[in-house]
Amino acid sequence: MNYPFPKFFVLILAAFMFTWFALIVLPWISLGHLAPITEEGSTDIKPWDVPGAAHQGEAVYASLGCAYCHTQQIRPANSGADIIRGWGTATDDSDEKKEITRRTFPRDYIWQHQVFLGNSRTGADLTNVAHRFTTAAQLYRYLYDPYILNGHSSMPAYRFLFIKQRISGLPSNDALVLAPADMPEPGWEIVPTADAKSLVAYLLSLNKGYHLPDESGPVAPPSKS
Amino acid sequence: MAKTLYIPPADRGFISTDAELAAVDASVRWPVLACFLTAVHWMVVGTFLLVYASSMTHPQDRFPILGYLIDLANNCSFFTYGHIWPAAVDALVYGWASTAGLGLAIWLLTRMGRTPARAPAALMTGIVFWNLGIATGLTGIFLGDSSSVELLEFPAYASWILWVAYALFGLWAVATYLGRKPGQNHIAQSWLLVALFAFPWLYAIGSTLLSTDLHHASVDLRHTTSNSAWVYPLPGSGVMQELLSSWYVHGLFTLWLAPLGLALLYYLIPKMSGLDLQWGSRAQLAFWTWVVLAPWTAVHDLVGGPFPADTVTVGLVFSGLIFIPVALIGMNLVGTSLRGEEQQGHHGGIVFPFLVISAFLFVIAGASEELLSVRAANQVLRFTIFRECNMFLWLYGFFSFAVFGAIYYIVPRLLNFGWRSAFLIKAHYYASLYGILLFLAIVGFGGIVQGLTLENTDPLVTIVNADQVTQSFFIASTLCLSLISLGNGIFALHLGWMFLDWLRQRVQGNRLASEILLEPYTPEESAKVTAGEVSA
Repeated sequence: MNYPFPKFFVLILAAFMFTWFALIVLPWISLGHLAPITEEGSTDIKPWDVPGAAHQGEAVYASLGCAYCHTQQIRPANSGADIIRGWGTATDDSDEKKEITRRTFPRDYIWQHQVFLGNSRTGADLTNVAHRFTTAAQLYRYLYDPYILNGHSSMPAYRFLFIKQRISGLPSNDALVLAPADMPEPGWEIVPTADAKSLVAYLLSLNKGYHLPDESGPVAPPSKS
Repeated sequence: MAKTLYIPPADRGFISTDAELAAVDASVRWPVLACFLTAVHWMVVGTFLLVYASSMTHPQDRFPILGYLIDLANNCSFFTYGHIWPAAVDALVYGWASTAGLGLAIWLLTRMGRTPARAPAALMTGIVFWNLGIATGLTGIFLGDSSSVELLEFPAYASWILWVAYALFGLWAVATYLGRKPGQNHIAQSWLLVALFAFPWLYAIGSTLLSTDLHHASVDLRHTTSNSAWVYPLPGSGVMQELLSSWYVHGLFTLWLAPLGLALLYYLIPKMSGLDLQWGSRAQLAFWTWVVLAPWTAVHDLVGGPFPADTVTVGLVFSGLIFIPVALIGMNLVGTSLRGEEQQGHHGGIVFPFLVISAFLFVIAGASEELLSVRAANQVLRFTIFRECNMFLWLYGFFSFAVFGAIYYIVPRLLNFGWRSAFLIKAHYYASLYGILLFLAIVGFGGIVQGLTLENTDPLVTIVNADQVTQSFFIASTLCLSLISLGNGIFALHLGWMFLDWLRQRVQGNRLASEILLEPYTPEESAKVTAGEVSA
């Protein structure tokens, strides 16, 4: 190295700043101000806001490391088979429960405290998991025993998210209905813990069943206040 | 009795014939040794966890022998895959690679500066805190405090300890570098310095901008200012998190671990082969192009995702250009080491073979990054186990082999004490080499197969098919990881054996020497003690 120390340091810093500016600061300028969309004559906002229980579920999702095998992003049809796999299909909020199939946009993620785009699809994409599992009971059962759908699944079972308790009075509303072999002895039931409930609330909030203006053309300019 | 007490003065031993270098090595003996010993300990922990994590991805009904482990993981959150896997990777990246990297940096900095280390106490404190931070972080992950941000899983209470540790180390490093003997410049120093600057730069930004508190704050800010075009929520919000995360992950590999390993190779390969660096005049160009281009490999994790398209396009162009530094570094290091091998006979010595493999694997890792820079290939491999292949190419391939070579070279010089068994070194070498080559081949090919299944245009193909085709590769990769862990275990035992043997002989030697002073000795022995040939 033939440079004096300060000059070397400045050059290194310049190299770091170049990447930092182009890779982080420029995208931040175009993504940082993304606001929800409100259509005229409506009070609904898009993307839909996330309920509080779902925010707690995000923390459980992070703590259990679900993102190491599951992604939450849909690539456009021209750069991947995500839409062919059916992961881009969501249910809208109309009474007819129409299907909406599309890629995801930066605006889709603005309400999430923590974004789990993920880098591995050992498991299925979960962007619209609430389209495929519509009730909490289905998800509880799947988390308790992932082998009901795929007997050789790589997914671990999350039995520690449930407790076995003696039925006092009437059975609990959210007691698990399992295969006969897995059912506890009479007088007992298996119920989800608080963590399981918030995790499932989070998973049920994963449904991008709305359209965004981003779908036509580049990211739309921010709405004026 | 008196005859057995006579300790023959050692031959030159392993200490450098250059008195200045010998003094430098002696001054950093304990800090470097502490780094290496704790790093090897974390390597064993990380490898064990990795084998465990890998075996949990097997089809569980077909492996009754794994039943206990699987039951444990299913019923106790402590052992769930989502805890074991990040703990394994963090133990390897921070515990093994980074701690060993600190040891390398300490040794190289003082040696190339030709000045004995000052303030070793501050350095040792830093190393203790560093290890404490890693232990705390891993415990945090197991207890469920993981943040799930790749390579930043350590909870905030552990990050702070790592911060303090690195601050101590960094101050020491800057002081050592500035206090070096003038005129001592080497390309390895540039690599070392860029690594030492990159780590705090990356870790400071990564751990603050990706902290959970900031996520919450930025969403709250968006709630209150949802209609203002002029307020920018914090950069840790929305998909910016993933941009930052990929910048951090790839920065850690390309600006922290890779430069540390390259510093060592640039120093040791010419030194041990006794040759000038091949194409040495291009080493500077290789350095600067690497520093500018390599962090752009971050966009490999962004292709097709919800990000500005132009960032990804520009990034793919830049990261595609890393063939320039990779080729130049390859010509420097592989070229020199091949010529060295020609001269010394095929794979002569203990250290050199590790360094040659490391240099080769660097080029292969560069080629794998190059492959991911091709958009079509990236689409197929993006979400597959090819990414693991790429990561372990850096971590277990290039970097581990550089560190193995370094430890085989440095530790005898610190202790003036030889390795205990040539057989164990050979066993370690071949287990690691075949383990990693098989692992890379299997996981790399598995990634391609998995990717082709996931990207199949037939809508009837589902994730279940993709999972099924990948599972055989999971099983094979567990076997390869077991081979690697066998090699690692042999290495750890050998290092431990050597260290304990050295300690024992040192203690015994001191006792013998003190006995000499009590015994009436012959005139020749008396002369030897006076001349300092028999150590006291």
